[in-house]
Amino acid sequence: MNDWIWSIKSLARRRLRTLLAVLGIAISAALLFDMVMLSGGIEKSFADLLTAKGYQIRLSPKGTLPFDTEATLPAANSIIRQLRQDPAIAAAGAVLGTSLYGRGPDSLVTLFGYGIQPEGQGLYWLQAGSDLAPSDTNGVLLSSAAAGLLGAEVGDTVRMVGRLDPQVITGSVDRKLAVRGLVRWAYDYRGQPSVGTVLPVMQALAYGNREDRASLILVKAKEDRHAPALAAALRTRFPDLEVYSVADLVAVFKQRLVYFRQLSYVLGTMSLIVSVLLISTLLTITVNERLGEIVTLRAIGVARSTIVRQVLIESAVLTVVGGVAGLILGLGTARYLDSILTSFPGLPAAFSFFVPRRESVSTAAVVLLSAGCLAGLYPAWVAARAPIAATLRSEAT
Amino acid sequence: MTSSILIARDLHKDYPMNGAAVHALRGASLDVQAGEYVAIAGPSGSGKSTLLQLIGGIDTPSSGSVELLGTRLDALSDRELTRLRLTRMGFVFQRFHLLPVLTARENVELPMAEAGIGRRERRDRALELLAYVSLEHRAGHRATQLSGGEMQRVAIARALANQPALLLADEPTGELDAATGTEILSLFRRLNQDGTTLVVVTHDEQLAAEAGRVIHMLDGRIREARP
Repeated sequence: MNDWIWSIKSLARRRLRTLLAVLGIAISAALLFDMVMLSGGIEKSFADLLTAKGYQIRLSPKGTLPFDTEATLPAANSIIRQLRQDPAIAAAGAVLGTSLYGRGPDSLVTLFGYGIQPEGQGLYWLQAGSDLAPSDTNGVLLSSAAAGLLGAEVGDTVRMVGRLDPQVITGSVDRKLAVRGLVRWAYDYRGQPSVGTVLPVMQALAYGNREDRASLILVKAKEDRHAPALAAALRTRFPDLEVYSVADLVAVFKQRLVYFRQLSYVLGTMSLIVSVLLISTLLTITVNERLGEIVTLRAIGVARSTIVRQVLIESAVLTVVGGVAGLILGLGTARYLDSILTSFPGLPAAFSFFVPRRESVSTAAVVLLSAGCLAGLYPAWVAARAPIAATLRSEAT
Repeated sequence: MTSSILIARDLHKDYPMNGAAVHALRGASLDVQAGEYVAIAGPSGSGKSTLLQLIGGIDTPSSGSVELLGTRLDALSDRELTRLRLTRMGFVFQRFHLLPVLTARENVELPMAEAGIGRRERRDRALELLAYVSLEHRAGHRATQLSGGEMQRVAIARALANQPALLLADEPTGELDAATGTEILSLFRRLNQDGTTLVVVTHDEQLAAEAGRVIHMLDGRIREARP
């Protein structure tokens, strides 16, 4: 018989009570794991999203964040040409984001349009059909939501309307485009009807002429490790633009969502305290019930350290079982909560609030286990310090 | 020539109670020779259990001294005293106090495990001891599945686990019916015949009569010691 089996058997004496305690610890641990996933998950998810297509640097109009305002930068193609000549840059592409309309089976539907440069795009993944060629001024890419609204499939022709006059519901720019492919846009919210054309076509739809404007420029450094230095160099080279590395954007994002982290710290700490109280209460009750047995063990020569070890092992067993159940419960809850939160309008569907990262979940597990063992200290102290003679006397009466 | 394995001198024990002192022992002295079977008898509250706890090192006297096998108990640290109880003494209590989650064999093995005896040796010895108390067939049963008499016999086997120099029993038949008490009584007799030194606290005249020497206590003092 070893100490662990002895402890498990001791806990199994009051099965229902132990089960309820484990359930309580599991719920509390689930909250802790969820909060840990939430605290670093948003940043991780955001960083993953930004680098999903390998572009580490964004250039946007001065004083703005990418796609944060409707501001655009001028002479986009000139900037792109300069960037593509830089030997440290693997690819660069301009993006214009704008609202436009498409003619559906019954009426005009509102769409979001991306003007892209297919040779330097970091915004979508092709799901069906073919990609746009850089010079394809007659093609369009649709999100599945846009395809649904327009009733279009790959190979169909759709009509796009820009610069709509709301008084007469006619657009000053009207283009027929062939659907080349269906794509998943990286930054679209769930169900967002988006379309993409080559940049000149979208500029025409947006401005009615070939005004060379873009919302942002994506830059891919040849080597990831050189991206921060490249960002710094571009900052000097283009003082009229904002230059952001992924780290810069994550830092800004982190600052904006600081309340999320604070909330997760507070709730995580509370759940940890609840776990400690649960374990401590259960074991203190158990120890008090078994005081007669414990002092008998002390009387027959069992060392205090053995008694302490025994109670701490029981504490560890409760924590481990509750923690494992909590992790499973936490992952399930996180998935459910994530599906609710990411359905909020304006949030990219690919974005996650709860990201289970091995290092943070491991840290939480270690903290939980340490706290669980800490919770066993008081009952262990009660057990070890119980006066043998006095307890035996009171047991005998 | 016989030798004293236990020498208790002028033991006093006072307990504080409601601001006053209760004098549980008022100067008790006792010598126990190796191989002796001593019964401490007396009415409830006479101090016999207190005396047993003091000579067993599970309580400390207010004054006086206890010497076991030449070692003064008051000179030992708590850790040393615990070790002495583990290796040189065996205890049997009125309420058995076996661990209910463990089997009879595991209960007997427990003091041996604490003493650091290897798994195989302690298992063999536990089975031998259970056979000695005629419970080998109950080795795999949990304590909760045993009768009162069986539990007390397992407790006796547990007390013998580390081959103690002195076995102390506090009202060992107190929770048992007459027939089962008689079984324990004959077990003690056999133990003593096999060389175990016994000190038994009892108010059971039949059990006391079995002992080689009976010490009567009253009001915290030894009133009479008869062979």
